[in-house]
Amino acid sequence: MVEAVQIGLGGILQGCTYALLALGFSLVFRVTGVINLAQGGFCILGALLAHSFQAEFGWPILLAAAGGIAVTAMVAAVLGALVFVPGLSRVAHGNMLMLTAGLLALLTGAILLIWGSQPYALPPFSGDQPAVLFGITLPTQGFWIIGSMVSIVLALWWLLHKTNIGRALRACSENPAAAALMGISVPGMTLLSFILAAMIGATAGIVIAPITSLQFDTGSLFSIMGFIAVAIGGVGSFPGAVAGGLLLGLANQFATAYVSSLFSSALSVGLLLAILIWRPSGLFNVGKTRRQDVREEARVQKGLIRIARQAAWIWGGLGLVLAFTLPLWLPGGSLLSSLNITGILFIALIGLNILSGYAGQVSLGQAGFMAIGGYTAGWLAVQYNVAPILGVLAGTLISLICAVILALITMRLRGLYLALATLAFGLMIDSLAVGLDDITGGPSGLTGIPSFSIGGLDFSSPLRMYYLILGIILVSLFLMAGALRSDFGRALQAIRTDQTAAAALGINVPMYKLAAFAISAVFASLAGSLYAFDFNYLSPEMVGTTRSFELVTMMVIGGEGILLGPLLGSGLLTMLPTMFEALSVYKTFANGALLAFFFLYLPEGMFGGLVRAFRVIKNRVGHRPKRSLLHEGRV
Amino acid sequence: MLNVQKITAGYAAGPVIWDINLVVNPGEIVTLIGANGAGKSTIVKTISGLLRPVSGAITYNGKSIESIATSERVRMGISHVPEGRQVFAGLSVAENLRLGAYVHRHALTEEELQARIKKVCERFPILLNRMDEIVGNFSGGQQQMLAIARGLMANPNLLILDEPSLGLSPLLVSEIFALIKALRDQGLAILLSEQNARSALAISDRGYVIESGRVSISAPAHELINSSEIIDRYLGVGGVTKISSDNKKMAAQIRDLIWSESIET
Repeated sequence: MVEAVQIGLGGILQGCTYALLALGFSLVFRVTGVINLAQGGFCILGALLAHSFQAEFGWPILLAAAGGIAVTAMVAAVLGALVFVPGLSRVAHGNMLMLTAGLLALLTGAILLIWGSQPYALPPFSGDQPAVLFGITLPTQGFWIIGSMVSIVLALWWLLHKTNIGRALRACSENPAAAALMGISVPGMTLLSFILAAMIGATAGIVIAPITSLQFDTGSLFSIMGFIAVAIGGVGSFPGAVAGGLLLGLANQFATAYVSSLFSSALSVGLLLAILIWRPSGLFNVGKTRRQDVREEARVQKGLIRIARQAAWIWGGLGLVLAFTLPLWLPGGSLLSSLNITGILFIALIGLNILSGYAGQVSLGQAGFMAIGGYTAGWLAVQYNVAPILGVLAGTLISLICAVILALITMRLRGLYLALATLAFGLMIDSLAVGLDDITGGPSGLTGIPSFSIGGLDFSSPLRMYYLILGIILVSLFLMAGALRSDFGRALQAIRTDQTAAAALGINVPMYKLAAFAISAVFASLAGSLYAFDFNYLSPEMVGTTRSFELVTMMVIGGEGILLGPLLGSGLLTMLPTMFEALSVYKTFANGALLAFFFLYLPEGMFGGLVRAFRVIKNRVGHRPKRSLLHEGRV
Repeated sequence: MLNVQKITAGYAAGPVIWDINLVVNPGEIVTLIGANGAGKSTIVKTISGLLRPVSGAITYNGKSIESIATSERVRMGISHVPEGRQVFAGLSVAENLRLGAYVHRHALTEEELQARIKKVCERFPILLNRMDEIVGNFSGGQQQMLAIARGLMANPNLLILDEPSLGLSPLLVSEIFALIKALRDQGLAILLSEQNARSALAISDRGYVIESGRVSISAPAHELINSSEIIDRYLGVGGVTKISSDNKKMAAQIRDLIWSESIET
């Protein structure tokens, strides 16, 4: 009994942190309708700043804490003013989630650069001696954690209901246009909510830091847990945020104590999925729903730039020649290897592009299917000597089954909730990849995977692998280009534009969404298997949630909604770190910065940007009449 | 007091109003009439600052205002009650009204603010008893009343009303128009954008007819209301002439229906 209470207390402490994060999510969501994934990053930033103030400058802990919160608020002000607020008017509503994921990567990368990858902890605020009450020990830090949560809840309530600023914030959340007419600066209020949320996040990080160690990448875990907590409670609801956070913390601690720490995140994710299916709007209803047809057409449509058909043949031919002869020109083997990775990730991206770029569905769990494909094929080959090709097929089959099940249970979900459900799926696979160590080798990975072979023909050298991947890509592109030019492709694009309108035209929306989802899973699974055979090794982080985010980044940077577009994104993000080894520490930072930059300034991606730049040059050099250019644009 | 000179404005896709000239003098009701999509809302949004004009000038009491922020214009006395009411549905009546005086938040003491709420609500007794209720469940008419009351909280000299009669029952429409007239008689200048042209012109001093983003006619309201061209195009009864004599009875019924919406002045 004492033990259970003890665990429960631990759960409440953890839950308070999640609740604080969730409060920040709800605050920003209320004003902007956006889930701000950067929240967890501010959490770590605040804690590490406080650590530096305390350890380096010798400030007393409370002063260091205040300093950490203040500096975090300044950083948030800059990021908010330069990226988040402009994003709200430039980026399609649904893509804002990805933009904030970019901000999270930016913060994570910056923290890695400043503080390195080692874990940090703060000293407890009131000494190490735990308090003992009725035989139950509780670290005194617990009082700080609970106290700061309670005071923040009260302060937030007072601010929102009793002050002019709070009423203005709520007015912006109710109706931004009318708020502007009252003379309220909507961008100003948006920025304010962003900064306040960051300060709440920083507080959460600082008070939890004495009992958990934090490092640069703990931020994404916090963001994800906060996102889950807020979804459990009901997005936008403050009591919901607190309840969701506490529930999640308790579930997590009890699962860790009584089941296994390896599966604890799988169980929290299971809890989330159950609630999403049972009550998609969370435990507490906010009474007001925002339209969740994420990814509305405006931005995507503006971004679509295609090459004229004639030019496409010429460029396609040149591209083919280049692709076939590329290995001959390359100086070293490491470039060829990373070219192979570029190709493998591009295979996964072809699928993701069909799901997101064409059908407009969000997926943050694509790497989950890569994991299924990779581990299935790898395990069968290592354990039972199954021929790789059969392993690939088995992995594909399992992925397909998972995709269909996931698609069926998430059929009702749209936008944010769909993003969350796919994220949850990815996290569940992450946790299984670590937990099922008999099959996957656990955290240290699955070793001894043979190279790919068909019959007697093996693909052990990077060069052979290159041509294998090239062949698969060409066949896939050929098939998909055909499919997308048919009724199938048009139906998908109709669904992206407006699901209701598409249904009214007689398009079987659930069927097509299911198909798009299944196709994306098959491609991801195939890519995962190839990845395992290429590396002869597979570890959970190679195909984890970070990878899912990276895939989305690659797609956006390259150019979504165009089959070849993501290849450029995959190439850029894979090749650059190889070419400039010394700079690889900047990778996370650059991912985030690039994502934010492309969303804000080059929404059509590199592909669209190149095509447009080429047209401008051609227009300046040649003397083509304007009319044919317009015509070309329409092809 | 308000002088709009050769304003061209619009949205990302390009301008939707061109070379609009418009004047509102103190203590008069000026009505913009025109079909759906003619550009009436764009004109009023440009005046209140929700949209920046591409070219042209707007002066208010002699000061140039076309490039200053909405909040500054509200402070100067231009209050815009938007189309479709746009009340803050999740907030209480009192909170909505307070936000109406948001730009004066530093200038007003709590007592002054309460006094202003009381004064504004003299015209809207229905709001007085429901101060702490959330307005989301109010009827359309009640929300429209609240929206106007909220607009008055800024203590404006010029009140802009965009489609105040939209979606209201005929009885409520006449109530709203009577209210607008009373506000004018109190000294407020009013710029009204209305599709319900007959009722609007009946209480107006002058009117502008907006067609495809341009002012096609500007004239005193009583001239517009008697012009056969305007009757044909905007006042709805023109259709009667096209109904054949077999359907005279039906035509009379339709005419009655249309006329029942107007009010006696």
